[in-house]
Amino acid sequence: MAAFFRGHRNNQMKEANNNEVDLLLRSFARERSQSRPQSGSAGDGERVFSDHLDADELNSYAEGVVPAAARARYTAHLADCDACRGVVIGLTQATGAANRYEVSEPQGGLSFWQKLAALFSPAVLRYAVPALVLTAAIGLGLLALRQQRRTEFLARNEPVITQSPQSETSSTLKPTQPPATNQNATQPEKNTESTNERSKLQDQKIQAGQAPLIGESSAQKAPGKDSGEPVARAGAGAGVEDLRPSYAPEPKKEAPAPAVARDAEKSAELAKVQTANREDQDRARNEYKSQPTDEVHGPSRSSNNAALPASQRSAGLMGARGPSVNKNKNNAEVETRTVSGRRFVREEDAWVDTAYESSRATTKVARGSDQFRALVADEPGIRAIAEQLNGVVIVVWKNRAYRIQ
Amino acid sequence: MSQREEQIERIFAEGVSRLVARATDNHGLTGETLIPRVRAVVGKYILRDDAQAPLDVIKDFIDKLQADDLCLIVACEQGNQKAWTDLVERFSATVRSAARSASSNEEGAEDLAQSIWAELHGLRLRADGKPAGKLAYYSGRGSLAGWLRAVVAQLAIDQHRKQSRLVQTEEDADFDRIIQHGPEENTWSGHGGAPNPELQISAKLAGEQMQKALADSVKQLSAEDRLLVKLYYFDGLRLRQAGAVLGVHEATASRRLTRVHAKLRQQVERILIEQDGWTRPETERAFTEVALKLEADIEPLLATEGVLMNEENEVTG
Repeated sequence: MAAFFRGHRNNQMKEANNNEVDLLLRSFARERSQSRPQSGSAGDGERVFSDHLDADELNSYAEGVVPAAARARYTAHLADCDACRGVVIGLTQATGAANRYEVSEPQGGLSFWQKLAALFSPAVLRYAVPALVLTAAIGLGLLALRQQRRTEFLARNEPVITQSPQSETSSTLKPTQPPATNQNATQPEKNTESTNERSKLQDQKIQAGQAPLIGESSAQKAPGKDSGEPVARAGAGAGVEDLRPSYAPEPKKEAPAPAVARDAEKSAELAKVQTANREDQDRARNEYKSQPTDEVHGPSRSSNNAALPASQRSAGLMGARGPSVNKNKNNAEVETRTVSGRRFVREEDAWVDTAYESSRATTKVARGSDQFRALVADEPGIRAIAEQLNGVVIVVWKNRAYRIQ
Repeated sequence: MSQREEQIERIFAEGVSRLVARATDNHGLTGETLIPRVRAVVGKYILRDDAQAPLDVIKDFIDKLQADDLCLIVACEQGNQKAWTDLVERFSATVRSAARSASSNEEGAEDLAQSIWAELHGLRLRADGKPAGKLAYYSGRGSLAGWLRAVVAQLAIDQHRKQSRLVQTEEDADFDRIIQHGPEENTWSGHGGAPNPELQISAKLAGEQMQKALADSVKQLSAEDRLLVKLYYFDGLRLRQAGAVLGVHEATASRRLTRVHAKLRQQVERILIEQDGWTRPETERAFTEVALKLEADIEPLLATEGVLMNEENEVTG
């Protein structure tokens, strides 16, 4: 680049030098014409006139038919003889020689090396190099922009890949899944889906990778026991950190899980199916793509998400999934609600976190008190729970149990 | 006669035979009549500059002669009335046109056109009793029309020179006059407005030295380059027209002129440093100052020339 600018500067200097010489020559010619007597075309005296070119030589020169050796001699004379040069000029213009040579340049052509040298001449490089640099910069910018878009697409598409088997599995589980009964509660689910879809689906990917362990732990855990949850949450959190792309949004750990309740046995089965049928994922993916959108985002998908532990289901979800009625093995109807990733069971007049153990000590927090305001300010997840669940709420939050009343 | 001379004579005979055969109307001329003419032409254009020119070159030269035009002129020279009639009928318009271009008024053009035929035929007799007209100088190398134009132009120059002989002033070589006498007001000084007389004198001296160096540098250019400089700067031709005279395209003339500029610059600097004792910074500063001064002087002139040129284009266009 430095060489280019140096060459460019040299070119400018040469042009300036040429311009100076051009001005000097113009002035020289002007002074000469002013100092010479106006004697017409007869610029030379009698003595010199005898040495002039005759009419035939002048005409042959003007028509360009003089042999090379004679032409050089005539040229030398014409360069110094105004009279003969004037005749040749007149003859050239009269015969239209200028038009004749107008087309002679392309016909004569340049050799390959002359053309190559002209291509890399400073006059061409002066404009070509900046144009190339500009083009390269634009190209790199477009490439970077495209890469950025690609990464965005990657982050969005990841869940689609892992979600398909669940959809397929969910279709097999549909007959055993009771549909959501509360329409009012399902409405906010749709609203929050779009905003938290990425985090939610990413959790589903994690679920697919750790399904056997999670399913096993879920199966071992009895309802109401939260002993294994912190471990599962920690493991899930680590999985999120490991698998999540750096550009993916930070999952919200306090976000609620999908709405549909699940029992532990079905979760375990689902997880096993997922790990055992890796090969079917491609096929399932294709099927997923062909499925209507309503199916994917419908209640069935929520039921699939229920296979996750609460901590994993909650990532990115803040909204409640609304109350639903689950049938347990004994077909007893239990009113449950899921808020901020916590599943609550209605027990008498209180909503009890399924992770709560009755033997566990609780911290009582009165609604509207300073302690309550401080708690909800620090923990927005608890705020959501307290707002959406009326009455007494027992929630396990960060390994501590709170009784909000 | 040497073998080469015999070969050349054989080429002449064969070439003239082909020439007569090529002519659509040879006006009854034979090869023997034309051989002296062809021999003179070959000697003038080829053998004078290269006595050992290849035979193929001579043969090719003869074959490219204008057969019809040469036969017509030689027939006229031989006193063929029909050929004269043909010549006048075919080329009177060309002669009148050339006369109008060479003369400043219509009356002078008509006089010139009428006198050209007498000049062609010749008013005096040569030693062999034939008219000493200009017809003997047509070689057939170029077109007859072009040759007639050249004859008219030269005749116009000759007449003008004779008319102005009483007021003829001394003609010097191209650059010697300016160099020896110098312009009355030296516009080459870069310090034209300097109030200090000492500065003015030194500036004038510097301008004169630079002017002389430039004149010497132009003289040292090759004939082709010098002719290009003369055509472009001294005769006021455009590059397209100058290129036509030189037989090259406008672009070639432009490239050649750029190269000439660089060459002149180097040569002027060398002369000023070696002969006049200038330093390199002084030459560069002088170039810049003189150019700035000249630019200011020439711009109005160029603007005027541009207006005139546009008007001329509008008229001719």
